[in-house]
Amino acid sequence: MRVVRWFIALVILAGICWWFPLFHVATMKTATAEKAAVTFNATVFAETYWTNQLLASFAKTVKADLLLPAIQADSGAAKIKFARSLGLSASYFYFVSGSGHVVAVSDDEVSLAIMPASTNTEVSLQTGLVFGNALRDGTGLLNTSDYPNSQDFNDISAALNHLVEARVLPKLREQAKVGANMSFVGCAEVDDETTDLKPLKVIPIQTEVQ
Amino acid sequence: MNANTKERFKKLQPLIALAVMVIALTLLSDKFLTFANQRNILLQISVNLCLSIGMTLIILTGGIDLSVGAMLGLAGAVAAGLLKNGLGLKVFGVVLQFTPFGAIVAGILVGLALGWFNGFAITRFKLPPFVATLGMLSIARGLTMLWTGGFPVTDLGPKFGFIGAGFFLGVPMAVWISAALVVIFYFISKRTTLGRYIYAVGGSEKATAFSGINVNRVKIWVYALGGALAAVAGLIVTARLDAADPKAGLGYELDSIAAVVIGGTSLSGGRGSILGTVLGCLIIGVLNNGLFLLDVSPFWQQVVKGVVILAAVAADKMGSRRE
Repeated sequence: MRVVRWFIALVILAGICWWFPLFHVATMKTATAEKAAVTFNATVFAETYWTNQLLASFAKTVKADLLLPAIQADSGAAKIKFARSLGLSASYFYFVSGSGHVVAVSDDEVSLAIMPASTNTEVSLQTGLVFGNALRDGTGLLNTSDYPNSQDFNDISAALNHLVEARVLPKLREQAKVGANMSFVGCAEVDDETTDLKPLKVIPIQTEVQ
Repeated sequence: MNANTKERFKKLQPLIALAVMVIALTLLSDKFLTFANQRNILLQISVNLCLSIGMTLIILTGGIDLSVGAMLGLAGAVAAGLLKNGLGLKVFGVVLQFTPFGAIVAGILVGLALGWFNGFAITRFKLPPFVATLGMLSIARGLTMLWTGGFPVTDLGPKFGFIGAGFFLGVPMAVWISAALVVIFYFISKRTTLGRYIYAVGGSEKATAFSGINVNRVKIWVYALGGALAAVAGLIVTARLDAADPKAGLGYELDSIAAVVIGGTSLSGGRGSILGTVLGCLIIGVLNNGLFLLDVSPFWQQVVKGVVILAAVAADKMGSRRE
């Protein structure tokens, strides 16, 4: 009787596994190829995004000579008018462009005076290692909900930061000399409304000495 | 008050506590009684409920399992790993690509095996349950780290995600699963031979053994079931997050023991019920939710929870002493 019971259970189990298979067998080669096809490559994505979307989006930037007086007058109103933020986060971003003259150069920043006749550092172009998500989230071109896997979204940020470190910063460090006139496009991340924005710290995407 | 009334009152204590909390929170917060919040509470307790059902059976036999949180983490990680990467068999040059159903079965089998090992160690080597399951806690945590390399396994797909994040008739699947487990294990504990044996072992292990019942087998079954239920909880957590976090389930054993004790199950075994544990889970869930809605600091939330657990155990001990 016991054997019969076990046999019936085994048959039912086999039936379930037949209708709902536990696994499929694939050769190592096929499995590797399939996995590579579906794996998100953030570096490749960042390259394409940089060329096709980011460089083509500079018209969306807010001009620094418009933004800085607005921040001085009322940082809350400037945030509402010009900034982007993600979800409920207190931090926000400015996608900013402008030009000014270099007032100082150090190991990790190039200081620019933006307003006419100003000698104060109003924008600081960051030239050290790039951290954070300003480049990914500051432009409004990438939407977190398009990336169900948050790891992919984080990888995009790392890849964009790496592109800036590899392409933008070496040239900037080389060309930035005190007194030179320089134009820039970049993103600034502000932690919250209490953050001191004198100067506005910008991660450069493109710079040019005029 | 006669003995019967006292016993009935004791059984109703968790229900009264829950009712008082619900009334108080309804008066203090206008968000508490909304449908969305009630659904949220049920969703939040569903994982603890799965763990606590198994823990109830174990505590009913007079044992304890400190490894349920770690088993939850390992089962979730194994299921996620098999689903995402498959199982490579280099000798044959093939990979077993697991389906979501296969990954779920594998996860549950992992929990079942670890739970069985707990029971085996406790009965075969006569280890105190506290020590044996503490060892398993460490083993399971280590295995989880080895399996995942310390990194989360992510992007598991919508089919697998359905069990944690999906809805059926407007109610989260996780709630349906935990409710089904409550019904099944209530039936097992009250209407089956195994259920009666569990109460008997917890009541008096010696008397049970003298009456010809294989106490060791009962205990092994109970720990194995506890492991399988921890695995179900792990699968829900993993599916809900769409990721297996190697640190998942850290400290969950404490919440589960708390729910069982608050629900009126005696730590010395033999007395308690699955329905009491459901109430215990609800009390903890409502307490967490209420303190959050009332904007109480998370640090104070832990203190309050600790006080509630102490009060529940003290009430149980005082009741036992009087008896």
